[in-house]
Amino acid sequence: MLVFRSEDHVDRWLAGRPRGAIVPITTVAELAEAWWWDRLDPDWRPHTREQNQTILDRLGLTGEFWQLG
Amino acid sequence: MVAVTPDDLVIRNATYRRFMELGRAPTPGDVAAVTGQGAEAVSEAWHRLHDAHALVLDDDGGNRMANPFSAVETPHRVQAAGRTWYANCGWDAFGIGVALRTDSTIRTTCPDCAESIELEVRGYRPTDPSPVFHVLVPAHDWWSDIGFT
Repeated sequence: MLVFRSEDHVDRWLAGRPRGAIVPITTVAELAEAWWWDRLDPDWRPHTREQNQTILDRLGLTGEFWQLG
Repeated sequence: MVAVTPDDLVIRNATYRRFMELGRAPTPGDVAAVTGQGAEAVSEAWHRLHDAHALVLDDDGGNRMANPFSAVETPHRVQAAGRTWYANCGWDAFGIGVALRTDSTIRTTCPDCAESIELEVRGYRPTDPSPVFHVLVPAHDWWSDIGFT
């Protein structure tokens, strides 16, 4: 999960390998806010798979690639 | 995935708390000192938490990741809350400011051209939206090799 200067840089780095998923950096920031917000809460409990899938879905990260195991 | 017990959660939460206090990954002894349990009990709980994906251990049983924080230096450096932290990936780099509930500065490098990328993060959003993020591994396989992911 890496940050690149642009999509052109991603493709050059992949050198013909298939792309995974390109995500706008602003979407990653939104994802991080939802995913990590409670990480240091003193009463933290693990997220369920369903909770995390809901976060991805809400941000439009849908389809087979984004289905959690 | 292994279920986490309430006792394991006490160890997990103390581990994160010590990580923040020390600015580095705690040892089992560091955690044992605040939980009143022995270092061996902490290590045993860490292994269960690792199996439950609640933290990540290295091959020697030491703390490798308290996601989004990395216990080792990585190319994803984050300045936040008066300290420099290391994130496990670009996504986790944003997570550090979120977890600490503060603004941050992310410094990483473009894997293609090796030029530095500096992102100021204010209100949990980057002030420069031009970089892009690439996810190579499908979500289903993220935990198959979390270090690679």
